[in-house]
Amino acid sequence: MSQANPRALAAQALSRIVHDGVSLRAAFATFSTTFSDARDRALLSALLHAGARWWLRFDTALTGLLEHPLHEREPQVHALLVLGLVQLEILGLPEYAAVAATVEATRALGKPKFANLTNAILRRWLREREARNAALDADATTRSAHPRWLIKSIAADWPDHADAILAANNAQAPLWLRVNSRRITREELAAKFAATDIEVELPEALAQALVLGQSLDVTRLPGYADGWFSVQDGAAQFAAGLLDARSGMRVLDACAAPGGKAAHILEGAEVDLVALDRDPQRLPRMLENFARLGLRADVREGDAGDPSTWWDGRHFERILLDAPCSASGIIRRQPDIKLHRRASDIPALAAQQARLLDALWPMLAPGGRLVYATCSLLVAENAACIGGVLARHADAAGRRVPLGWHAAGAGMQNLPGEAGMDGFFYAILDKSN
Amino acid sequence: MTMLTILEFPDPRLRTKAQPVMAFDVALQGLIDAMLATMYAAPGIGLAATQVNVHRQLLVADVSEEKNQPLVLINPKITLQTGQQVYQEGCLSVPGIYADVERADRIEVQALDRHGRPVQFGTDGLLAVCIQHEMDHLVGKLFVDYLSPLKREMVRKKLEKQRRTASVA
Repeated sequence: MSQANPRALAAQALSRIVHDGVSLRAAFATFSTTFSDARDRALLSALLHAGARWWLRFDTALTGLLEHPLHEREPQVHALLVLGLVQLEILGLPEYAAVAATVEATRALGKPKFANLTNAILRRWLREREARNAALDADATTRSAHPRWLIKSIAADWPDHADAILAANNAQAPLWLRVNSRRITREELAAKFAATDIEVELPEALAQALVLGQSLDVTRLPGYADGWFSVQDGAAQFAAGLLDARSGMRVLDACAAPGGKAAHILEGAEVDLVALDRDPQRLPRMLENFARLGLRADVREGDAGDPSTWWDGRHFERILLDAPCSASGIIRRQPDIKLHRRASDIPALAAQQARLLDALWPMLAPGGRLVYATCSLLVAENAACIGGVLARHADAAGRRVPLGWHAAGAGMQNLPGEAGMDGFFYAILDKSN
Repeated sequence: MTMLTILEFPDPRLRTKAQPVMAFDVALQGLIDAMLATMYAAPGIGLAATQVNVHRQLLVADVSEEKNQPLVLINPKITLQTGQQVYQEGCLSVPGIYADVERADRIEVQALDRHGRPVQFGTDGLLAVCIQHEMDHLVGKLFVDYLSPLKREMVRKKLEKQRRTASVA
C-alpha cells in the first residue's frame, strides 16, 4: 500500500503553474482532490503558495547550485528542488525532515535517479546558505521575488511605500469573512466559531466582517452550507456601502462573478439587481452562491462593454464596476500573479477598463452613481483611468470616497496589508441630472 | 540489497491466490528482507508477496513516520472486525492512483511472525487499513476492485497513458 506524497504532487502542480501558465487556484483544485486528509491538503496549499510566492528567488538560487540546468529536461524535479529550498528557508521545516522528505519525494515522482542529486543540492545549500542568501538579497528581483517590471511600476506609482508593498505581497493574508446579516448576526456567528475553538476578530470599520488569523478550509466552518457567511476580503466589503443601493432601485453589477459583492448588495436592500458576467463558465458558481445565501438576482451572461447583446435599454440607478484588472493588489493571496502577469498586460487592461467605463456610462440614470473598483495598485488602472472618464464625460463628477485610505486622483487606494486588507481602489462617479 | 520488481495492474499474476508459508528457512528470511527494502524504497507502507510475484501468504508493513517499525505477518487471518472507516488508499501495483476505500475500523489479527511464532493483536486506524489492503493481495484482490467499473476503467486508461509517456521519456 502507498500513500499520496504531498511534496511530489506539489512539485507536479508547481511545475504546471510555472511552466504551463496554470493558475495556482486551478492547480490546487486539481491536485488537492488526491487527498482526503485535511493536513495533506494544508501542506499542499502551503507548498504551492510559498513555492509560487518565492519562485523567482529560489529558482535563481537553484540555477546557481546546479552544474547543468534541470528545468527544461526535468521540470518536476526542478520544482521539487525549489520546494526543498522553500521548506528550508520559508516554511522553516527542520533541516533533516525537509531534506529527507524531499529526497523521498523524488521516488514518489517516479524519478529515483535524482534522489542523490536532490540530497547533494539541498545539503550544499545548507552549507552555503548564508553567502547564497546574501547574494540573493543583493538584487531586488531575488530579494523580493517580484519581476523587475512590477518592482519598477510599484516604485514609480508608490515611491514612499514600495518596500512595504513588496513585503506585504510576500506575507500570508488573513481570512476575511462577511456575515450574511439576513441569516445571523456577526456576534452570533463569532460565538459559534468560538464554540469550535476558532478565534475571530471583529473589526470596527466593517459591521459584517470577521477576521480569522489562520487560513483554513472554509467549507468546514460552521454555517458555511447554511449561507451564514461569504469569504470576502475586508477591502471588498466596502463596495456595497459605497454604492448605497436602496430598496426598489435598479442596480447593475457589471462584472459580477463569483458574485460576492452582488450578494452583499442583495443582503443589504431589496433591489432589482442584474448580475452580469461575460464568462459563462463562472455563472453556475455565482448562481450556487446566491442559492446558498438565499438571494435572488437576474443573472445574465454578457459583456458589459457591449450593451447591445444584453441591455434592455432601462437605466440603472446604481452601477458597480469591479473591473478586470492586474490583481496586483492581491498578490499575497494569489502569488502566481508574479509569474503570470507581464508588463504589456497593463496598458491592455487599462484600455479595457476605459472601454467598460465608457460603455456603462450611458446606462447610468441621470442622478445615478457608479462605483469603480479594482484590486490593483497601479495608477494606470485606477487614478489615471478615472481621470480619463471624467475628462471624456461632461456629466460625470467624482465624489469623495469616505475611506481613510491613500488619496489617488479622484479615488482612494488601500495598499496591500494595510488594516489587514488587500490592495484595493475605489472611485465614485456621480451623473448630473 | 536487491530490489524486487513490483507487478503492476492489470498484470494477471496479481490475481493469483497465495498458498500458506510452510518453511521458515533462510530463503524466506532473505525474501522478507528484500520485501522490506523494496517497500521502503518505493516508498510504500505495505507490500504483499503477491506483488513481487511470490504467491505465499506473506506481507510486510510499516506505517510509522520514522519508518522504524517493520511488521511481518505470515499466514495472517482476521478473526474479528468492527466499525468502518474510509481512507484514501494507494497501491504500489497501481502507481499514482489514490481512491477512497471503506474498510473495517478495527481488526483482530492472528498470524505467524518471520520465525514462525504465533502472534495475535488488535489494531485500528491506518495499520488496520494497511493490513486489510495487503491481505486482499494474498487472495488476488486489488483496491481498485472496490471502485465502480467506470472509475476502474479510468484508472486502467490513466495507467496506460502513464506507461506510454514513461517509455517515450
